[in-house]
Amino acid sequence: MKLDKESIIELLNQKGVEVLDLYPNQISVNIKKDNLLNHLVFLRSIGFDHLSFINAVDFIDEGEFELVYHVWSYTHKIHVLNKVRISRNNPVIPTIVNLWEQAQFYEQEIHEFFGIIFEGNKDLSPLFLENWVDIPPLRKDFDTKEFSVRLFGAEIRR
Amino acid sequence: MMDSPSYMLSKIAEKDNLTVYELFFGPNHPGMHGNFGYVLEMIGTEIVKVRPNAGHLHRGFEKLMEQKLWVQNIALVPRICVADPDPNEVAYCTAIEKILRVDIPDRAKFLRTITLEMSRLSSFLMGMGALAAAVGLYTAMNIMTADRDLILDLFEWLTGARVYHMFSIPGGVRNDLADGFVERLYKVLDHLEKRLIEYDKLLFENPIIHKRLKGLGYVSKEDAVKYGLTGPNLRASGNPYDVRVDDPYAAYPYLDVRVITQEGGDALTRAIQIRLEFEETINLIRRALKTMPEGEIRLNLGNLSALKVPKGEAYAKVESSKGEFGYYVVSDGGMKPYRVAVRGPSLPAGLLLAQKHLPKMKIDDVAAWMASLAICPPDIDK
Repeated sequence: MKLDKESIIELLNQKGVEVLDLYPNQISVNIKKDNLLNHLVFLRSIGFDHLSFINAVDFIDEGEFELVYHVWSYTHKIHVLNKVRISRNNPVIPTIVNLWEQAQFYEQEIHEFFGIIFEGNKDLSPLFLENWVDIPPLRKDFDTKEFSVRLFGAEIRR
Repeated sequence: MMDSPSYMLSKIAEKDNLTVYELFFGPNHPGMHGNFGYVLEMIGTEIVKVRPNAGHLHRGFEKLMEQKLWVQNIALVPRICVADPDPNEVAYCTAIEKILRVDIPDRAKFLRTITLEMSRLSSFLMGMGALAAAVGLYTAMNIMTADRDLILDLFEWLTGARVYHMFSIPGGVRNDLADGFVERLYKVLDHLEKRLIEYDKLLFENPIIHKRLKGLGYVSKEDAVKYGLTGPNLRASGNPYDVRVDDPYAAYPYLDVRVITQEGGDALTRAIQIRLEFEETINLIRRALKTMPEGEIRLNLGNLSALKVPKGEAYAKVESSKGEFGYYVVSDGGMKPYRVAVRGPSLPAGLLLAQKHLPKMKIDDVAAWMASLAICPPDIDK
């Protein structure tokens, strides 16, 4: 049965999560780390069956990482951005591999580029970067210019 | 007896059967598209285990985009998918327009739609050609490559570039159609439609392809959704979902997009799916050209080099020839994006499905399997 956006927002509000109506067909939900699995299981049970992807954003000034779980429903035609904030100092979050198998590779990628640890994910080996030694490169405090000067001894000519 | 050649050979075969060896399928392999590879553990010609070997093509786009102006990134985004570059531009621009909360002129929407569909045609031609080459039918590949050039010529006329068009910009498109463009596009479409008969004879009705692809890489209707497959791969498994219809963007709300679905879910069905969608795309361009309105081609957003996007975030997705291409853009209100994250359509098939399908498969089928799923490594690596 197809639900419209308003009834989905109402359903989520009843569950006690904060919902933001962003655009037509797109809503954003802020969830707590402990509630993540329950929330995604609930979304899946009401027909949100497609995990588009997972990505992370480094909010360095606030000392937090934001993980965004993109979930789309083929029945309701609604895209939900599920946002979880975790501390930058202790970036640990439960894995969702048991819910969606392809999350394995998104989690591996995020672990590689942000250093976030997915609790319960058995394989967080590097997927893209070989012999990486520095801090994870998509973090905001990773300076590409300084890195290449240091690693390759490049001098900057003006 | 003991030293006869046949006895020696059988001994070697027995020994070989027990030996597991590692084979690098790519990045330097004729059956591999792009700089990507699988490390296959093999017994004889049969695959036992597979490990994706990505990263040869990682160019750090997501980091680079944080260091460039909003409009400078238009030159970067098409490079994420070489075969089908336009969906990247449109998704990136749509995400910016969503945060800006502006609606672009109707003619710009139609121009975007037409370039998207032309890009889809050229990508399908490349995809069908790759599939043909993977099963050894090089003639089909050669005439498809030649036909793709006709579309690239049109792109060159319209945008000045053959492969990376940089045609969409925040607020609309760069330029309008030149005089005589529509007529020539119609001519190319007619030519491609006629060519379909030849494609059918050379490729889709060829017993070789039926023999090689039937039953290969089967994905059930439920699994296709569960594994996150999108686009033609999803529809070839019997799911009638298409971003152009479900979450319309550009001019698709004004157009009658016919979603083609097939039951089957194996490589042969996916190959025929691309062929059917190719035919439908030709008709869709004709319908778009007929209904295209006159008018402005872009909004005046001031000097685009000084464009500032208000604080906010948006996810925009586009149905590319391989599936859902999505851009998640975060702005902190400055001159540059705070974060751009890209969802490429090839990751679920190229990484997850590879581990499900490739074991027990013969080495000869890997290239055909990859081509049938339209796995395009540049969007895994980014």
